[in-house]
Amino acid sequence: MKLLSVINKCTREQIRNFWILILTVSMAPFFVFIYYLIIESSKPHYDLLILNQDNGIQTMGARINYGDLLVQSAEEFQNGTPEIPLSITKSDNKHTALKRLRTQKTDALVIIPENFSEVIHNPDMANDTINAEIEFIGDLTNINYMVSAIWANEILNQYMQELTQENEPIKIKETSLGFSGSINDFDLVVPGILILSIIMLMFSATVAIVTEVEQKTIIRLKLSKITAFEFLSGVSIVQIVVGLISVLLTGIIAHLLGFDFRGSFGSLLLIAVLTSISIIAFSLILAAITKTVSEVLIVGNFPLFLFMFFTGAAFPFEAKELFTIAGYSVTLPGLMSPSHAIIALRKILILDMGLKDVVPEIIVVVLLTIIYFLIGIWAFKARHMKVE
Amino acid sequence: MNTNQAEDFNTVINISHLTKRFGDLVAVDNLDLRIFQGEVFGFLGPNGAGKTTTINMICGLSKPSGGKIIFQNYLNQNNTNIRAQIGICPQENIFWTKLTCREQLHFMGRMYELSAGLSKKRTTELLEMMGLKEKSNVLANKLSGGMKRRLNICMALIHDPEILVLDEPEAGLDPQSRVLVRDFIKSLKRDKTIILTTHNMDEADRLSDRVAIIDHGRLLSLNTPSWLKKSIGKGDLVEIILETEKFQRADEMVNSLKKLCKQVKFSEKVLIIKSKGLIGLIPGITEIINNHGNKVKEIRLRENTLEDVFIYFTGRKLR
Repeated sequence: MKLLSVINKCTREQIRNFWILILTVSMAPFFVFIYYLIIESSKPHYDLLILNQDNGIQTMGARINYGDLLVQSAEEFQNGTPEIPLSITKSDNKHTALKRLRTQKTDALVIIPENFSEVIHNPDMANDTINAEIEFIGDLTNINYMVSAIWANEILNQYMQELTQENEPIKIKETSLGFSGSINDFDLVVPGILILSIIMLMFSATVAIVTEVEQKTIIRLKLSKITAFEFLSGVSIVQIVVGLISVLLTGIIAHLLGFDFRGSFGSLLLIAVLTSISIIAFSLILAAITKTVSEVLIVGNFPLFLFMFFTGAAFPFEAKELFTIAGYSVTLPGLMSPSHAIIALRKILILDMGLKDVVPEIIVVVLLTIIYFLIGIWAFKARHMKVE
Repeated sequence: MNTNQAEDFNTVINISHLTKRFGDLVAVDNLDLRIFQGEVFGFLGPNGAGKTTTINMICGLSKPSGGKIIFQNYLNQNNTNIRAQIGICPQENIFWTKLTCREQLHFMGRMYELSAGLSKKRTTELLEMMGLKEKSNVLANKLSGGMKRRLNICMALIHDPEILVLDEPEAGLDPQSRVLVRDFIKSLKRDKTIILTTHNMDEADRLSDRVAIIDHGRLLSLNTPSWLKKSIGKGDLVEIILETEKFQRADEMVNSLKKLCKQVKFSEKVLIIKSKGLIGLIPGITEIINNHGNKVKEIRLRENTLEDVFIYFTGRKLR
């Protein structure tokens, strides 16, 4: 059987192209390890700076400063919740506080106004023009600012509730979907990196095809009785095996570093195989526009980076919805099949969903794979197989 | 059966009005020729003459712009059966660098749908015949240049094709390998139809039954090497060294010789005579010399070579 002979030949060549094989299967496990080191060595921490400018008030023969009490309440919150990575520091001077903010020594600055006690003591005097305006200052693009501001807001709410002795009319109950409540940052990136391990096939699959063009052995194949479909099927089967080895290695490393696999192994395998076929189909397009291995390494970087960084493979990525088809969001990165595979894996591995819950993603991956294949085979035949 | 009928019967490839254009460039221009069963057909021409383009069209790697190539009774329009009957040894060595000699021959055998057993048998036979048995399990890219060339020939033959196309088969070979390859090609004569392109005139002369000289895509001449050598140029050349110390009637002798041959030069003791079909004239020449009282010491004869024929048809201009 010609197909078996092609598989046999491609397997031998793949093994003998030792460095390409090693790089392909080791890149994603290496990424997992690097992510683990980065996440472990950089646990998130938020620094909140409070500047109390409150003048306080004189009441019943005593001086009360509600601003001081707010700062005291914030410090108590910090001491009472050691699991929250929040540090609260007092500042006496606005200039110094702003300098600390600009030099990123603190994430957010909360300024309690001069009339804070006055407005708290006489809430009836508060109106559109007179009120106590607590100012939050920070870099709005910085995620640390956002988290610090949320905590500051929470502390302020608690303080006001205690002060006014009013019951909260609405309470929020948070229920985690699947295992999302118990996962950490590392768990969040693993599904993406599992797909990244398959994206890395783009190089080895393209090289396997383009080598035939570069060495001109494609002429021998064209003159023989093998069809393009048989040849490409043989190449694809070997590359799928390489992809699965890469996924397996990545999974083992992730598990050893603490990732807890949930969901069915069969679903994971199905998505891995479909994504591998999809990447191989895309590689055919890449093979059509290149002629040498060097060209693959240069031109291939462009789609590789797109697939790595804009599908959620390297880090979680959300894209703007362009439109929906049968309730399924279509986004620009959605033109890249791995983005759907990653969504499916997150559902299975993190949200504890089953195969039936990822049917839309699987359908989209299959559709995109068919489109890639059609474009790839047309372009490859036109560029490299055409009898001119 | 008359001659035409015999030629029709023996024709393996019938090329008629074959034309190939690349934009404004006419690479092959209205080429007509027939290649017969079991012959070694030499294709000669300078670089860019259209040899490889013609071969590519014969093999089905390129589509003619006009004309036909008929294989026995089949049109070569992407007919895979025809392709499978052709074995090609391209000018550059083409093989899988990460496969051993045995692996790639066996792989190609399987691609031509030989059974696993037959493919292995052919592989072993070819490696032995080409002196590559000891290199069977060596990766192709580790072979020497000559070995690579021999492996390239094996690749063309693995499926035992009826038509073998050898593009510069002796290029880059050392003398030992050249002899081996030449003997091998000779051994295939009659059994297979061989199309040979080469720049080595000696190789073409020794191996070819018929030679076609093409230039600018046109067929300039087609016949046996010996016919071509006899038919063109100023003919053969003979150098006759005379024994006599004092020449008798030298001018008279030269004039007599000029009646027999067009070009006669005499200087010192040497007569240089050029003429077509000179070998047949030698008895008459020696008789004239003797009749004038002179004696022949030595005769050196140089026939026209295929290179002379080649230069005669294609000129000396560099391409």
